[in-house]
Amino acid sequence: MHELSMVKAVIDALDDLYEANEWSAIKSVTLRVGAMRQVIPHILTFAFTASIKGTNLEGAELVIIPVPIEFLCRSCGGRWGESDLGYLCPHCGSKDVDMLQGMEMDIDSLEVEE
Amino acid sequence: MAVRKIDIQQAVMAADMSYAKKIRDKLAEKGILMINLIGSPGSGKTTLLENTLGKDGLRSAVIEGDVATDRDAVRIDALGIPSIQINTEGGCHLEANWVDMTLEKLPLEDLDVIYIENVGNLVCPAEFDVGEDHKVAISSVPEGPDKPLKYPLLFTEASAVVLTKTDLSPYVSFDDDLFWSDVAKLNPKASTLRISCYRKEGLDEWSSLVRSWLEEKRRG
Repeated sequence: MHELSMVKAVIDALDDLYEANEWSAIKSVTLRVGAMRQVIPHILTFAFTASIKGTNLEGAELVIIPVPIEFLCRSCGGRWGESDLGYLCPHCGSKDVDMLQGMEMDIDSLEVEE
Repeated sequence: MAVRKIDIQQAVMAADMSYAKKIRDKLAEKGILMINLIGSPGSGKTTLLENTLGKDGLRSAVIEGDVATDRDAVRIDALGIPSIQINTEGGCHLEANWVDMTLEKLPLEDLDVIYIENVGNLVCPAEFDVGEDHKVAISSVPEGPDKPLKYPLLFTEASAVVLTKTDLSPYVSFDDDLFWSDVAKLNPKASTLRISCYRKEGLDEWSSLVRSWLEEKRRG
């Protein structure tokens, strides 16, 4: 249930912003979640709905933007995703590989009522 | 009332990441290596520590993470090695803020290596940075050879992949080639070790790896 820890971190981070900005309500929270994070969307949504009761986020909707995995080979420039998951280039066999995206776990944006 | 969209772009775990950084800064100053051991319940994390701590010439301490009981800490205490048990009471992983609080209870001036033995789980502990220098993925032969592909985050993040209980291989038809070829695809730069604590095989290689990480850290 790492989803629950993530939701608690979202609530804590947004509590500070809520107090500082004097919004009347947070209507929605949009998260960008990389596929490598092993987050199950409906569990994240369930944890969010269960955890926001009685907090500054009560009533807010959770929007999840999934971010697919992408690797880049620094030797041949090849790119690939989940089907060849890993730091070994499926095109040239190089180990000189970066993950471009897929590890996101970010608060992207909010909709607030002022 | 007007509804306005506000751009945030902030890591969800920003607060915990600041604890991880605090831990890294403190341990860099003290020259202490921190290793985060991650594996299933029963994969042999505590047994590996029992078979190497105090025999490797290094001054070690262990932070034990478990849902309940202090059984692992008791096993480490019996070796005369400082250990602190964190009970997560249902939590599936350790987080940096707990580790930070625990560090204050360890004799940091007299240590070379701190091991975090994370809660037995292949998913969640891989997700949370606790300020370690290296994550180590521990997988045991009876779990089967498919764990790397089923739990790719841990195996791609790990600096080393340790296969334990290799003495059981003939009894469970473990496909060694499949296991290691999947590891090589996910994480071709990882150090790889095969260990049998029962037969005392691979233990020197593990201690040498830990020593090389410590030397690398102290060289800066």
